[in-house]
Parts: sequence; C-alpha cells; structure tokens
Amino acid sequence: MLIDIKEVFKIYNEGFENEVRALNGVSLQIDRGEFVAIVGQSGSGKSTLMNILGCLDIPTYGDYHLDGTDVTELSDRQLSHIRNKQIGFIFQGFNLIPALSAYENVELPLIYQGVRTREREERVMDALERVGLAERSEHRPTEMSGGQQQRVAIARAIATHPPIILADEPTGALDSKTGQHVLQILRRLYQEGTTVILITHDNSIAATAPRMVRISDGSIVADQEQEVDWL
Amino acid sequence: MSIVQSIKLAIKSIVARKGRTFLTMLGIIIGLASVITLVSYAKGQTKEIMQYYESMGSNQIQISASKWGAGGDKVFQSLYDYCLKLEDLVVGVTPSGSVYGTVQYGAKNSETMDQRPTVYLGSDQWSLCNNFTIGKGRDLCYMDIKNNTQVCVLGSKAAELFFDYANPLGKEITVCGVPLQVVGVYAQKDFSGNDYSLDNVIAVPYTLNQTLSLASKSFTDMSEFVVKAKSKDATNEAVTLLEVFLKGLIGDSQSGMSYGYYNVYSTNQGQQSADEATKGQQALLGGIAAISLLVGGIGIMNIMLVTVTERTREIGIRKAIGAERRTIVLQFLIEACMICGIGGILGILISYPATWIYCKQQLGYLVSPDPSIMALAGVVSVLLGILFGLYPAIKASGLQPVEALRAE
Repeated sequence: MLIDIKEVFKIYNEGFENEVRALNGVSLQIDRGEFVAIVGQSGSGKSTLMNILGCLDIPTYGDYHLDGTDVTELSDRQLSHIRNKQIGFIFQGFNLIPALSAYENVELPLIYQGVRTREREERVMDALERVGLAERSEHRPTEMSGGQQQRVAIARAIATHPPIILADEPTGALDSKTGQHVLQILRRLYQEGTTVILITHDNSIAATAPRMVRISDGSIVADQEQEVDWL
Repeated sequence: MSIVQSIKLAIKSIVARKGRTFLTMLGIIIGLASVITLVSYAKGQTKEIMQYYESMGSNQIQISASKWGAGGDKVFQSLYDYCLKLEDLVVGVTPSGSVYGTVQYGAKNSETMDQRPTVYLGSDQWSLCNNFTIGKGRDLCYMDIKNNTQVCVLGSKAAELFFDYANPLGKEITVCGVPLQVVGVYAQKDFSGNDYSLDNVIAVPYTLNQTLSLASKSFTDMSEFVVKAKSKDATNEAVTLLEVFLKGLIGDSQSGMSYGYYNVYSTNQGQQSADEATKGQQALLGGIAAISLLVGGIGIMNIMLVTVTERTREIGIRKAIGAERRTIVLQFLIEACMICGIGGILGILISYPATWIYCKQQLGYLVSPDPSIMALAGVVSVLLGILFGLYPAIKASGLQPVEALRAE
C-alpha cells in the first residue's frame, strides 16, 4: 500500500462556535500505480484531503502512512524531503515563481535534492521536452499562456521522477482544449507507472479516471472502479 | 544543499528581481548618504563654534588697572613680579592695550581698509596669553621688550591684508609713522570666516608705548592686561589672588585709600555660556541623527515589507517542492546581506561627495563625513535591511506550506 490514511480529521477552530470539519473521518487506501480521481463540490474537503496527502498540511487527528512511513511522526525537515522526492505537485494556480524562468522553476526541486549541475540540466530539459516546452525554457511565467504555465508546473512535478503525482484542479484555470492536453500528459504518466491522484470538481473529468472517489462534506461517499475509453 | 548552492539561489533571486533590488538599494543608499551628510554637516558646524571660542582663549583673566602717578609699565612690572610668584597657577602675563593709529606699508594704508588691524602692545608672552602660535619667523622676545626694539609680529589676516601672499618677513611697516620691522607671522587661528577676524592683529613690544604715544600725538593708555592661567580651577584661584594683590597695590574706595582703579574679569565666564550653546548644538545634533536614522530605517522597512506577501507565497512554493526551512532562511539571509551590503557601501561612498559639496556650500570649507555616524548609520541601516529581508523567511518558512501558499 502506497498511501494509507485512516480516520483522518481536519478541524478548524475546534471547540469554538465556528468549528469547521473540513475532513470528518476519512479513510482511503491507494496502491502504487493507480489513477484516482477525487471528485467533490467546492467546500467538500477535497483540497484539504489533497493537502494532507501531499504533506502540505497535517491532519488534526488520524493516521497517515506513506509507503509504510508514519507521516504524522515526521519533522518539518523530513516532510520537506518527502515532498521533494516522493510527490510531484500540480496546482490549479500553477504556483510558479514569477521571477524565475521556466527552466529555473523546473530546476528548483532538483537543486533542493542536491542533483549535480550536469545531470540537472539533462533532467530539466527532458521534463520540458515531455510537456513540449523545451524551446521556451528561458521565458518567465508571466510571458506564457495559462496552458504553458501549467505545463511548466507539470515539468517541475515530473523532473524529480516522483512515484506520486498530485494534481489539484489542474485544468481549472484552462480552456477545455488545453485542459485535455494536460489530462493526456497525466494519463501518459500513469501508463508509465506513476501513481496519479487527480482532484477535480468536474464529474466529466472524474469519469475518465479508472478509479473515482467522491467526497462530500468531509466524508467519502463513493469509491468505485470504472471503465475508461483511453485504456 | 551546499552553501554555494544557497549563494547561487540568492544571486538568481536578486538578479531576477532587478526592480525590487534597485529600490531596496536606493532606499539604503539615499537614507544612509543623507543621514551621514546631515550629521557630518551639523558636527562640522558645532566644531566651528567650539573652535571660535577656543581661539578667543580660555582661562584668560583680563585686568584693567591704573594707578595714579605711576605709568602703565610700572603697574605691569608689579603685576609681572607678582605673577612670577603664582607660577603654579599662571603661565603668562602681558599688557594688552591697543594703539590707535595708522598702519602703513608702501601704498597700503589701514585708513582705507574695511577691516582695520588692531595694534596690541604686548610682552613676549602676549601670544601665549592670546592663544597665538608663531607660523613664520619668530615671536616677540624678551630682548625686544628690554631694548625697545622696533619690531612687530603680524596676525595671519593682517599679513594677508598688507602683503597678500608675499613674504612679509624683514619688511618694514609703519605704525603712526614709527617704522617697525616684521619679524614673524602668527599661524591662523580663526577659521570662522567672520569679517572681524581674530587674526587681524599686530603685536608690538609694549615698551614702544611712549614712542608710539609721541608719534601719534595721543595718549596711549596702557591699563589693560591679560593673565593666562593654567586651568579652569587655577583661573578662579588666580582671580581671587589677583584681586587681593591689586587691592593692596592700588587700594580701593571702600578703605578710603584709593590711588586708582582696577577690575579683574575671567573670560571663562564667557566660555561657560559658549559651553552651554555647544551643548544645545550637540543635543540638536543627536536629535537630527536619531530622526534621520528613524526615517531612513522606516523607508528600508517599508520596501522590504511590501514584498512580504509575494515572498510568503514564494516560500510556500519552495517548501511545497521540497525546500528545507534552513535552506530558505539561508537563501533569504544571503540575499538581504548582499543587497544591504552593496547598498550600504554605495551609500557610504556617495556620502563623501555629498558631504563635501553640501558643507562647502553651507560652511565655506570642506568637511569629511564623520566616521562615527558613518559606522552607526551603516550598521543600523544594514541591520534593518537584513532584519526585514529575513522577516518573511523566518515567519513563512515556519508555516505549513499550505498556509504560506494561501497568502494574498
């Protein structure tokens, strides 16, 4: 089991009148090499779940084992290492550093990993080629379209060859055509063996995932395998 | 991650944000240069005032004394003898009367001058008592006094008026028609640039009193004397002793046995008010420095804090893709040190011409930036810059990445 969360709660303002239970006892297991869509409406808790799965946030209660490691026991520094090596993030808002070029943005996680200059260069260019942006490597995010920015973000996520890709509404800020392109890249990654977790509010997108987990009001209400046409 | 890598990241970040880097540096440069310039100017001004009072002479005791039936030189002889006994307190004594008459050299005549030099009758201790030091040639000496030698020593301003920049030594000037050979020129002591320069003086042996009186056909009274004491305390003590002595010599009206008059006055009384004025000036100076530093500091803070939100998000991104907290803090520290260090050095460099030009314009002479304010202002602005450059890094890198990413 790659991802194993049990009875996870995320509660804001616990014990106060304005208490909010973003996650209300969620348990979920994901195997290596799965393609899972987590679908839910805005405010359903899906982004909170993704933040916890990605070690960007810590649960209020509950267990989280990632590849056998109890994540809730780890230090801030160890969590940084996990995010760096195990997980590639694709955010709805791209979250690129605007002052840095596409190349430098993709290079950053490799620098933090301590990869040497020459190997870094190869891997950055390889990642940019895979998203079809090799020739735009010196451009700043502000000089690019939304679709191109998202592809840079994908290149950054895959440059470290992480076993897990976490994509939070990756098509949310894109038109349907560029959105399809981004989804195709994710499918290819899945076919190459990467575990892909796709968070979306869009049922039609969720329908194209081999496994769909529906979340509502902080709880999982459905978890099903489904036939998809692209496999 | 190595420190070299952190430095590279910092440089990348600095270069990538040229606008912000420039503005931050500009804030430090302008703040620093203006603080240093202002304070150096104020210090230069204070120094000028202090020097002025200093050059007037401290620990000076001025005596007016006249005894009926006795010439001024007789009174001085008694005073001189008495002062010898006070050698623990007194360093010199001299007559200090002045002669009213025309000074002439070639075509140059004091009557036609805007600033007429004052001719003083003095002993060989006149320069000592009045804070003059010899610049060129020699001072009046004991033999000049004893032999009524017809010589004189010029103050630097008087020398300039009569001789421009030619060498006055050995030349002959006339005072009331009496020829006097210039044997020396005193070094300049008054740098105030005032119209009535303390250097516009001519010292002649007091024993020429009679000769000059005859020549000017007017009675030159020799009733002014100056005693120079060793210290402030010595001045007070000497004043008391001299009063007692003069009372014995001349008598006073109270005892009904008065043969003249006398008055003893210490210039330290004037000095005291000068000291107070200087203290006020110094307080003003401190105020200016504090306010300028505060304003400069706020400017630096402002520029650094404007970017906090942007940088908080950036830190969230960096954490999300795997940066350790210390890596982020180190990068921001290096970044802030570089920007503030370069800004600080440029600010100090610019403060030199700024201070020179401003002081030349305002005070009329060059003042160099004051090293102590340079150090203080430099340290304060660089520290503030680093502190506020580091602030977002320390704050945001401790957050959960998701919280830092939420910053707007």
